[in-house]
Amino acid sequence: MRVSKGDIFERVFINEPGVNLLIEQEAGSRVKIVIVNLEISKSRGLEVSNNITISQLGEGCSTEIYALAFLHGSDSVTTETHVTHAVGGGTSVQLIKFVLDDNSRGRFIGDLKIAPDAQQTEAHQTNRNLLLSETAEMRTQPQLEIYADDVKATHGASTGQLDESALFYMQQRGIDKQKARQLLVNAFMKEVLNTIGDERVREQLLNSIDGVVE
Amino acid sequence: MKPLLVIKDLHASIGGKEILKGVNLVINEGEVHAIMGPNGAGKSTLSAVLTGNPAYEVTSGEVYLRGQNLLTMEPEVRARAGVFLSFQYPVEIPGVSMTNFMRTALNEKRAYEGKEPLSAKEFLALMREKKRMLELPDKLNNRSVNEGFSGGEKKKNEIFQMAMLEPCLAILDETDSGLDIDALRIVAEGVNKLKTPQNASIVITHYQRLLDYIVPDFVHVLADGKIVKTGDKTLALELEEKGYEGF
Ligand SMILES: Nc1ncnc2c1ncn2[C@@H]1O[C@H](COP(=O)(O)OP(=O)(O)OP(=O)(O)O)[C@@H](O)[C@H]1O
Ligand SMILES: [Mg+2]
Repeated sequence: MRVSKGDIFERVFINEPGVNLLIEQEAGSRVKIVIVNLEISKSRGLEVSNNITISQLGEGCSTEIYALAFLHGSDSVTTETHVTHAVGGGTSVQLIKFVLDDNSRGRFIGDLKIAPDAQQTEAHQTNRNLLLSETAEMRTQPQLEIYADDVKATHGASTGQLDESALFYMQQRGIDKQKARQLLVNAFMKEVLNTIGDERVREQLLNSIDGVVE
Repeated sequence: MKPLLVIKDLHASIGGKEILKGVNLVINEGEVHAIMGPNGAGKSTLSAVLTGNPAYEVTSGEVYLRGQNLLTMEPEVRARAGVFLSFQYPVEIPGVSMTNFMRTALNEKRAYEGKEPLSAKEFLALMREKKRMLELPDKLNNRSVNEGFSGGEKKKNEIFQMAMLEPCLAILDETDSGLDIDALRIVAEGVNKLKTPQNASIVITHYQRLLDYIVPDFVHVLADGKIVKTGDKTLALELEEKGYEGF
């Protein structure tokens, strides 16, 4: 699809079995995509593959991609983003988060291209993952191709566990360990959920994550 | 005099290295005990062990809180039973607001005591009152726990939490470090206001200055994992003058 000059395309996808988007942006257009995979029900074996391909073909576009997946059991989620800045003056922000429990598998492939003519581009790609079990697995494959020199581009990827010292701090104040884990996981997830513009949808999701961690 | 905390021949280690090498201490209700001692002596280790930090292993000894075996209790149960630690290094918890954190903590404690949870209104009123006591700005409520707080704000925030939870045993681990002169006075006054004939505190410090405000009944020197000397408040003055040479 094509987002015309100066237009805005904003979509939130919740628990879709897979999101496939191929978007071309004309000058000054804005795209914001939020993908949330929270299989809160106990059904196991979720298999999701998201592929978001966005090209900024006109000057001064903005692209935002936010994704959150919470995986249990043998769930597997792959999220791929391909963002291309063909011309200059555009911005792109990506925040991709995974929470992985049990034997779940997560994968992020993030392909960011800044063409030689795309001067004064600002591009940020961040991937943060939280492992709740020792048998869960996350694979991250960022790929940056930057051919312009006057750009601001950052990327960061990290995979870690819950902060033990924060857990203990909360327990020391009388908070049950399980509840403390939940507060930390929710804090991690909220960063993505808070990007949802529609207040009703956002509040509903924020409410639904209480009680997700077993 | 009723004993509140009894520590008998406590040995503890971390990473296989023995840090506490036989600590004995009895704290009665209403008492303030200062613990001083050189860096690395094991003061924070003692706080960690009393509060059940899983990073430390108790290898032998016994600890009782009002006659109850403390060492078999989970950290959160010890906290609800009234053991509070003002951390030497308070932890930042991004994304968890002070209000949410404090409300959860307080209601867990109330549930343990068989009390109803506080309503949102009652809770906020209590927060406001305690914050005023410590002259903490209101805006800290909406911020994440300790995140981006200055060193002094973190220490004040510890005592604020203590004021909210009203513990029977407060362990203040170098609460004075990083506080400016006014903040030191405010924090010390806060601690003094919280004092009752039934509760007690352990004040860990390197400086006599704090003890001018919070006057201890006993001063102990912890060196190399043991209490090697106990005296009254004059011992702190003596240490300030002579240092730990000879221990
Ligand atoms: N993970 C660890 N592995 C090995 N040794 C450790 C570990 N953590 C702490 N220690 C050691 O334990 C000893 C006691 O540390 P502790 O923090 O209890 O000292 P302290 O008396 O509180 O000192 P300070 O006055 O500097 O705060 C120190 O020698 C320290 O290096
Ligand atoms: Mg210490």
